[in-house]
Amino acid sequence: MKAFICGFGTIGQSVAKVIAEKQEFFKDRYGETLLVVGALDSRSFATDPNGLDVDVLLERKKQKGTVGEQVYREIKDALDSVDFDILIEVTATDINNGGVGLENIKYALKHDKDVVTANKGPLALRYKELMTLADEHNRYLLFEGTVGGAMPIINLNKYDLAGQKIKSIRGIFNGTCNYILTKMDSGQPFEQALKEAQQQGYAEADPTNDVEGYDSACKVVILANSIFGRNVTFKDVDITGITTINSDAIALAKSNDMVIRLIGEVSATKLEVAPRLIPRGHPLSLPGTLNTAEIVTEYAGPITVSGIGAGGIETASAILSDLIDIMDERIGD
Amino acid sequence: MIVNAELFVNDLPGQLIGSLEPISMVEGNILGVVHNREKIIDHRICVNVTFEVDDKRLERLKELWQAKDIVISNLGSVHETYNMDYILIGDINAAYIDSLLRKISEATTLDEINVRHSSKSIKTASHTSLISVKARYEENLDKIDAILRKECKQANVTYIRGV
Repeated sequence: MKAFICGFGTIGQSVAKVIAEKQEFFKDRYGETLLVVGALDSRSFATDPNGLDVDVLLERKKQKGTVGEQVYREIKDALDSVDFDILIEVTATDINNGGVGLENIKYALKHDKDVVTANKGPLALRYKELMTLADEHNRYLLFEGTVGGAMPIINLNKYDLAGQKIKSIRGIFNGTCNYILTKMDSGQPFEQALKEAQQQGYAEADPTNDVEGYDSACKVVILANSIFGRNVTFKDVDITGITTINSDAIALAKSNDMVIRLIGEVSATKLEVAPRLIPRGHPLSLPGTLNTAEIVTEYAGPITVSGIGAGGIETASAILSDLIDIMDERIGD
Repeated sequence: MIVNAELFVNDLPGQLIGSLEPISMVEGNILGVVHNREKIIDHRICVNVTFEVDDKRLERLKELWQAKDIVISNLGSVHETYNMDYILIGDINAAYIDSLLRKISEATTLDEINVRHSSKSIKTASHTSLISVKARYEENLDKIDAILRKECKQANVTYIRGV
């Protein structure tokens, strides 16, 4: 099969690396490989119908800052320039209007390509429209990497907990906020903790999406639509960020043996992101940049999963599971 | 409700079972039984039983025991309580918290309520308060949540609740 990687930042590069490393696995499982026939970043693209050399792409990106020599006016021109089966859409998330990611996914589905994405924006804003489009074209649109990075949650609910009613999911879905709140547990004020998160590379220069709870809200929407069958968008989420949390609140929580964590909660009726008081030792009191989710199920009771919530290679692991899912269906294992 | 009962039954075969049957008849759920043979008064043996029962059926249960010549020495209830903590952050003072608590008291019954205020934050004008409540029914917590959510939104106060 042939894949086109749209977006060649940290995640795109990691996906390319993982695909290159897993060639033997693909051969053993399917009797054929998964070729990367196209790669595109914000300024350039590269294609080869016989498969690109991933090492060359990575080296070029490192040396010159661009993935290819060819330039494009519109992304669809690059997508049209080579035949492929799966679009791996990992451009930057835009939660205002879905950005180029939304257009790329729509374009690929309309042209009968399967899509794997880690881009939250399009799914948080236009989930139903995209899934309908995928159904109409008999294509897969898979998105394990959009929620919780390496932490399996979408496929866990879809496969391992299939048939069971999921009563609720609540969890830590933003590692940046969790890092900041963990630092505040040790006495650092919010501003210093945020600055440290930026210096460590956990927070963006503009941390609004993280600290105002917008990033977590996107994930909550994706879970609500994909697992609870709801039809909601980003604007339906009741969002409270962490910017007003002060040292006094942390101290009062601590005096009651609790911590404050930014929790996303979704059920058939709830759709919320808010700071919550969590007893120490509770699965949701997790420190650092980890993500965690507590899934309350019909028969199995509560199930807790956790994992590294961001990062190139971790998100690539989620994308790999979706690629295998598609290849299992298209080729058979 | 959960009830602890101390009963005295005649020291005859089948009396222990006879003392438990009425609990089943009122659809109670027996949580524990101790046949206290060391405690005998007037040829009757002590039975301590803990059970869960709809409080409306307790009177009927007493009648059933009395009809079986079972002496009720002690009957006490234990209530399960639900705890919840809330932190409020914003331009709030003791009067504001009092008004919130008044609204909560008007809407629901609480077993216990504790409020702690922080000293005013040095850099900002905001106060922080921790409200801890104990309620007899889980629905009461939902009512408190609804009140605090609405009031805090109106006053632009950050509201953090437990899980």
